[in-house]
Amino acid sequence: MMGDPIKAQEIFQATMHEAALRAAQGELSKDRWWLFRDARGRCLEASESGMQAEEVEMEEHEIAPWAPEQIARLEPEQLAIWIAGAPEPQRSAVAFFYLDHFDHEDLLDLLDLKPGEFSKQIANGRQQFQGWLNSTVPHQSA
Amino acid sequence: MKTASLSRRQRMLVLCAPFKEQRITDRAMRAAVFRAKKSEEFTLQQAFDRAVAELAQKTPVPPEVAEWFTKETTVAPPKRTWKTIATNPAILAIGIAVVVIATVFAFRVLERMSDFPGADTARKLLTTASSSRSVLLDPVKTEAGALGDLFFMKHRLDHYDVPPEFADLKTLGCRVFDDEEGHRVAQIWVIEKRMQFFLFPAERDPKTGAVRDFSDWRYVEQEGWTGVVKEKNGVCFMAALRGREKELTPYLTKAKQ
Repeated sequence: MMGDPIKAQEIFQATMHEAALRAAQGELSKDRWWLFRDARGRCLEASESGMQAEEVEMEEHEIAPWAPEQIARLEPEQLAIWIAGAPEPQRSAVAFFYLDHFDHEDLLDLLDLKPGEFSKQIANGRQQFQGWLNSTVPHQSA
Repeated sequence: MKTASLSRRQRMLVLCAPFKEQRITDRAMRAAVFRAKKSEEFTLQQAFDRAVAELAQKTPVPPEVAEWFTKETTVAPPKRTWKTIATNPAILAIGIAVVVIATVFAFRVLERMSDFPGADTARKLLTTASSSRSVLLDPVKTEAGALGDLFFMKHRLDHYDVPPEFADLKTLGCRVFDDEEGHRVAQIWVIEKRMQFFLFPAERDPKTGAVRDFSDWRYVEQEGWTGVVKEKNGVCFMAALRGREKELTPYLTKAKQ
């Protein structure tokens, strides 16, 4: 979500601190996804106050059969930076989707998106990421 | 490229389908994925998603953060409310089954509570009534009340008398036959409402041999036929017709008046 490990760690610690405070006061939220919701809110807040990414039209490419091989050549930090640069709500949708921690209903609840909107964000994100892959780590044909 | 034929909604679901089967908890999503599974497009999508997720899993996590990152510590267990329990298909099915069983049981209990000695025989005779044809009977045109003497004289059946409530009705015919248990049964066919009368021995206590008597008229129903039964002097009389209880009631109330 942040593309910056230091900022991400600060947000994580702030969220855990808030959770500890609430627990001490016996005010733990009934929302089972509270921790993720709070962390996401802090990420959005931090992103808005920091330097803003320039809005550019991202090229969309069809998913290529060799995409897994292109992805394998990436570093995790590159993926984090790409996700962090995506506009909201695509950034959150893609981040939570690939975190592989939630089922479909949970994702809709967490992101407060309608199924059609969520599907569109993921599908566009996939094609935009493929476009970025093609320009960053082009397919090496044998 | 091999593509699956999907509805608009299914296509929408497939585009955001989880890449691990255990994450598919929704029935509509499962159906959409099942249809899309054989398409090349979906295979590519799933391979792409798995590769991205694998890369995301490799994101280095500082040790102080990692120790918090277990599902047990970050996610509260889902709360099981009464609503979720009640809408569970298994619970719902059990609930419906229990209600049906309870209803049948209550119905049988109520039926037994309103039963009287000889009710089983009366029901069997209602079945006989439904399948009887007037040609089977010996033609006798008289008043039903007069047949008591005939049964006594011709068949030696004592107390096989038609009660006063039905004694004035004109008859078409009658017969005497043995039922499955060898009891002598008298059957009378009357003109009015194509009604049939039955006279049969009252139920007896198998140990003492005493008649199990009951007071007043009792109703019994079987396959669209209704009978009204009364016991007197060890013999039961039943007036039967195809129809409801209310069609027999006027004969009993008229007699009381």
